[in-house]
Amino acid sequence: MSRWTKERVEEALTGPLSRRTFLKGMAAAGAMAVLPCGLLAPEAAGATESYGGGYTVFRNACPRNCYDTCAIKTYVQDGVAKFVEGAPESTFTRGGLCVKGNSYIRSTYSPDRIKYPMEQQGRGTGKWKRLTWDEAMDKIARKILAIKEQDGSLLGLGLTKYSGNFGITNYGVEGMMSSLGYTTRFVGTPCWPAGIDAQNFDMGSMWCNDPEDMVKSRYIIVWGANPAWCSVHSMKYLYAAREAGAKIVVIDPVFTQTAAKGDEYWQVATGTDGALALGMCRHILDREMYDKDWVAANSLGFEEFADYLRSNVTVDWAAKLSGLPAERIVAVAEEFAAARPATVWIGYGLQRHVNGGATVRAIDALVAMTGNIGKEGGGARYGHLQTWGFNYHAMVQKPPEGAVGFVGASGPKGEFDFAGGDKTVKHTDRAVNINKTAQEILDARNPPIRMLWASCKNVLSQDFDRPKMIEAFGKLEMVVVVDHFFNQTVEQADIVLPVTTCLEEWTVNVSYWHYWLALNEQAVKPLHEARSNIEIAAALSRRINELAPGSCTFPTEIDTREWMEAEFNKGIYDLFGLKSWEELRDGPVKAKLASSAAWHDRKFATPSKKYEFKSELCAKNGHEALPAYKEGRKAYDKLRLLTPHSKFSLHSQFQNLDWMEEFNPAPVVYIHPRTAEARGIRHGDAVRVFNKVGEEKLRAVLTANVPPDALLLYEAWFNGRKFNCQNLVDDTSADMGAFKTGAPGVAIHDQFADVARA
Amino acid sequence: MKKQLGFYVDAKRCIGCFTCAMACKNQYHQENGVVWRQVYALKTEIYPHHERAFYSLACNHCQHPTCLEVCPVNAYAKREDGIVVHDQEKCIGCGNCIRSCPYGAPRYNPALKKAEKCSLCWQRIDAGLAPACVQSCPTSALSLIDLSTFDEPNAVQYPPGYPRMEKLNPSTRFRQAELPTIYRRDAQ
Amino acid sequence: MSAMELPLVVFTLLSQLAIGLVLVGAIRQFAGDGPAGTGAPGLRREWLLAAGLLAAGLVASLFHLGHPGGAPRAITHLATAWLSREVLVLGLLLAAILAAALTGLGRGLVGLCAALGLGALLVQGMTYAPPSFPALHNGLPFVFFAVTAVTLGAGAAAWLAPDSRQGLIAGILTVGLAVGMVVFLVVPCVWLSGGTVMRETAQAYLASPLYWTHVVLGLALPLALVLKAGRIPALAPVLMLVGAVCGRIVFYLDTVHTAANLGGLY
Ligand SMILES: Nc1nc2c(c(=O)[nH]1)N[C@H]1C(S)=C(S)[C@@H](COP(=O)(O)OP(=O)(O)OC[C@H]3O[C@@H](n4cnc5c(=O)[nH]c(N)nc54)[C@H](O)[C@@H]3O)O[C@H]1N2
Ligand SMILES: Nc1nc2c(c(=O)[nH]1)N[C@H]1C(S)=C(S)[C@@H](COP(=O)(O)OP(=O)(O)OC[C@H]3O[C@@H](n4cnc5c(=O)[nH]c(N)nc54)[C@H](O)[C@@H]3O)O[C@H]1N2
Ligand code: SF4
Ligand code: SF4
Ligand code: SF4
Ligand code: SF4
Ligand code: SF4
Ligand SMILES: [Mo]
Repeated sequence: MSRWTKERVEEALTGPLSRRTFLKGMAAAGAMAVLPCGLLAPEAAGATESYGGGYTVFRNACPRNCYDTCAIKTYVQDGVAKFVEGAPESTFTRGGLCVKGNSYIRSTYSPDRIKYPMEQQGRGTGKWKRLTWDEAMDKIARKILAIKEQDGSLLGLGLTKYSGNFGITNYGVEGMMSSLGYTTRFVGTPCWPAGIDAQNFDMGSMWCNDPEDMVKSRYIIVWGANPAWCSVHSMKYLYAAREAGAKIVVIDPVFTQTAAKGDEYWQVATGTDGALALGMCRHILDREMYDKDWVAANSLGFEEFADYLRSNVTVDWAAKLSGLPAERIVAVAEEFAAARPATVWIGYGLQRHVNGGATVRAIDALVAMTGNIGKEGGGARYGHLQTWGFNYHAMVQKPPEGAVGFVGASGPKGEFDFAGGDKTVKHTDRAVNINKTAQEILDARNPPIRMLWASCKNVLSQDFDRPKMIEAFGKLEMVVVVDHFFNQTVEQADIVLPVTTCLEEWTVNVSYWHYWLALNEQAVKPLHEARSNIEIAAALSRRINELAPGSCTFPTEIDTREWMEAEFNKGIYDLFGLKSWEELRDGPVKAKLASSAAWHDRKFATPSKKYEFKSELCAKNGHEALPAYKEGRKAYDKLRLLTPHSKFSLHSQFQNLDWMEEFNPAPVVYIHPRTAEARGIRHGDAVRVFNKVGEEKLRAVLTANVPPDALLLYEAWFNGRKFNCQNLVDDTSADMGAFKTGAPGVAIHDQFADVARA
Repeated sequence: MKKQLGFYVDAKRCIGCFTCAMACKNQYHQENGVVWRQVYALKTEIYPHHERAFYSLACNHCQHPTCLEVCPVNAYAKREDGIVVHDQEKCIGCGNCIRSCPYGAPRYNPALKKAEKCSLCWQRIDAGLAPACVQSCPTSALSLIDLSTFDEPNAVQYPPGYPRMEKLNPSTRFRQAELPTIYRRDAQ
Repeated sequence: MSAMELPLVVFTLLSQLAIGLVLVGAIRQFAGDGPAGTGAPGLRREWLLAAGLLAAGLVASLFHLGHPGGAPRAITHLATAWLSREVLVLGLLLAAILAAALTGLGRGLVGLCAALGLGALLVQGMTYAPPSFPALHNGLPFVFFAVTAVTLGAGAAAWLAPDSRQGLIAGILTVGLAVGMVVFLVVPCVWLSGGTVMRETAQAYLASPLYWTHVVLGLALPLALVLKAGRIPALAPVLMLVGAVCGRIVFYLDTVHTAANLGGLY
């Protein structure tokens, strides 16, 4: 019998009594004592719990960077949040959350939380000294003033912020920086920029159908997306569509959970999807199965595109590159063209390549030429920002009088930069590429980046080329991290500030996928000494103005609820049919849509107001005008390395919780059995994954879910483990992204590595 | 037939997301190491792809519960609606139910030194609510059924991967997972 | 092995040792030793020892409870719980042994003790034969326990009994060890041809050094020694005890639970 079985026997029989978990249980029991009202004491099944009354229910929203942006109901008793549920009012989530959302009670009351401001006696030493908020703010303010003194500007102060919390008031972090003057901003997004640019070139904006209308689709291709893990609440629409007769095709180099739920799965060669899409386009063109009326009425440059297809693309070529049978490419192309409506869900994983933007354009073209754009149940679904028209009251702050900055035009600072760059001002922030954070810190001169403020951003977990990042941090004179847990970025910080969780603050949330709007109330008073991001900004403003009056315009006293209210405007109220935000206390509301279809009026936002198969704007931005095939990155090691998103974490969040470890205790690398055999690796072996960037040690799991030429490991931060996939991922850029988000994306999945027994 | 509540586990819909298991923790805050609902991946002998098909299992609220039979202090009771309830007050932590239930449903709570298990959220049911796990399932792969009225023609009681215990007559019913048509590069 | 099962190892072994002493004592008595004080003056000491061992075993079993204070309530579910019945029968056995030893080992009480002892083995066997262990969901636990009782009981008796009785006891032990050898070697082979969980149990047993320690040190070697010497050498009971402890640990640790295979073949 294998040892595995034995462990399982023990686990099944005695579970918590195995030594390791027993000790852990005791530790937690000790930790429990300090929690309010014995919150985490187990409630017996027989406990006299009344589910009807006895609770005050608050409205919350999951603010993570997630398609689903679930509205939450939080049940509070005696000031303690007891459990959460999905809001039943949302037809999208139907009273559900995901595995992560269901752990909010634990993340809020975790004994591992950062409880008060602290200063580390030497980065990476783990020797933390508690500070009062006043002491912490004083140290930070003095450093900022010293930088200004030394450099004559604040460009030596850098802000990196991304998607830790998408609550609208949390854009006050950017506001705090603006209120100090002109600083260095890490701009762009590691997430979806190549696809955003692609859709902007094709259609003038990124806009997708209401996901709930997928039930109307007759044919669905899920292309490089894994909703079964990354958008669990979307799966029911795929199922409903299938039950109504639709076919679901999943295209992914990995046999994902989504693939297992589809009707047909294609194991595409990574990075060759553009060829696949163009091959399908060519076949549809040849068969004249494209929507001639739609193309004639709504598009520009179709003839050039058709010429390109005829002279450069064949099905056999697409089959050869993608590794898929020509016969299937032909069949699915015909089925897709014949089904009305048909849709493609274009995943973000798909475009994290040096040809990612080009790939998305090719797929857009397939959906457009079959006349599926602007149709309910159709669409090239990628994402949208239609419901994000808030005031950005917290974000939009004036620089102080006489602030000096970078001289030159400013571009967009990310996809959520709704304020836009004011082109008339003389000074601007210094924009550097968020996807090359390490390199930018190393390269920055006149002035160098002396101080880094990381908020809603786990730099050392989520940014690329970790060894280089460690080196870059060595150049920083001060690192301030605002976060919940002692993660790997906090490990490299000088000062850490405790921030509230979503249960402890006021804000408002919308999604980049569905069309619901959800209020986030303060359900419980902030634990320990946690403060919200904008309260931190106010505290900093107070101190820095005490030291040097007039040096920060951020209000020094704020009421987070008032600031939440200040984000609403008529546009939002009209879109959602609201008179007041207070109505959101009765539950989330959905935008009143003229149609569930994006571009339903076929009025595209391109220069020509048409769908542009041929985009001069795209050419002007340094790409091909046509959605032509672009080659992928050349392999730099033996195997492809994929590091996509795990079902147990949202990037670096949640996996660190003991509740989550219960179900996913340790990181592993997935290897095809043949690949493993060639290296003498057996199931469960300790292995080393290595490439030019660095290496990782973890256990091997053998499975043909991954192709023989690839290794798969999921990004995540496990509490108490060194595991970090960024030791294997470099910072090579994707093709697109700079146009709309300020910096190109990053080729996260164009990575290569090898594996050996450790 | 008498009322008998149970779970319907639709492995065809289930995406193995562990939401149900965590929803139970969210509701009851079990001690670390104690899970009342677990999501079991089917082994490749049963579903050919590693960790791509699952059974979400908790207590089966059996017609003839072994737990109830073996408990020396009568800590288990079967309600009118078939729910098998464990009474923490009575339990002396002998572990006999834990050892004896073939489905591994009762677990040992090291802090309380007692057994505990899925209650089928009887308090929620009595309050007219769905069990926490059922309500949270994003794909409706997990549902609450009453065997006296349940008639799903494709449902099975003992699918592969789930031990056949006819004497107990567990109240869980299943629909089995299916396979897509697969086109792989290496097959060519 | 988990902390939870260690008291059970001690409890079952001590109680079975006690039952073995009672059984061997009863055989001797019926075979001619007569009541205490007449045939064998040391006999009463053996019965008192049995009572002490059983009492110690029962105390050990308390350590296995999360809440030992609730132990008295453990006999409240006699209707279906073999564990309740086990506690009751062992309690009665203890009382009967004490009564027999203190009243001069009358035939009736000795007979009652023997019957209760056998009954206790049966009930104990049923307690550890739940449906969750397909390999043990049968009469095997009783057989295992009986082998333990007879061999350990005979071994202990040999230490205490006068020379005149060594032959009889050696005979009992020889039979016990021989049966034990056959049982412990054949049973895993039979399991190998059973369902997945049974097979995994067999594989676990056969792969366990403790299992082989039991078979070799606890059964084969003593058997060889007894056969060679024609009596029970002083070393044999020690070997058997060590072997029995190992064997019992395997019993609790390596018997595969159905729940360990959820999602797998059965
Ligand atoms: N190798 C690899 N790398 C990747 C990816 C990949 O697939 N593979 N995915 C990329 C993608 S798509 C993305 S979107 C990025 C995500 O990268 P990040 O935006 O860094 O993602 P998170 O880990 O979700 O959140 C960052 C931090 O914000 C903290 N946080 C949460 N709430 C708050 C708050 O209210 N205030 C403050 N101050 N902090 C808060 C969290 O605790 C966490 O430490 O990662 C990218 N990196
Ligand atoms: N559970 C969970 N949910 C999340 C997140 C999370 O971390 N965890 N993150 C959120 C965020 S920030 C994002 S951006 C989204 C991401 O959502 P998705 O885009 O759905 O997810 P990813 O895991 O990034 O990538 C999807 C798939 O892209 C595949 N892929 C990679 N390269 C290629 C290629 O060349 N061709 C094709 N066809 N496929 C390819 C990967 O194998 C992977 O299965 O999910 C959001 N939701
Ligand atoms: S992580 Fe996504 S699916 Fe999960 S609760 Fe948050 S928004 Fe919902
Ligand atoms: S929540 Fe539903 S889909 Fe997810 S694992 Fe549980 S039963 Fe399966
Ligand atoms: S599954 Fe186990 S614990 Fe639940 S009723 Fe049946 S025997 Fe009892
Ligand atoms: S652990 Fe508790 S509930 Fe289980 S059998 Fe023992 S006394 Fe009964
Ligand atoms: S029914 Fe209730 S107690 Fe049982 S597993 Fe589901 S949530 Fe947990
Ligand atoms: Mo992302």
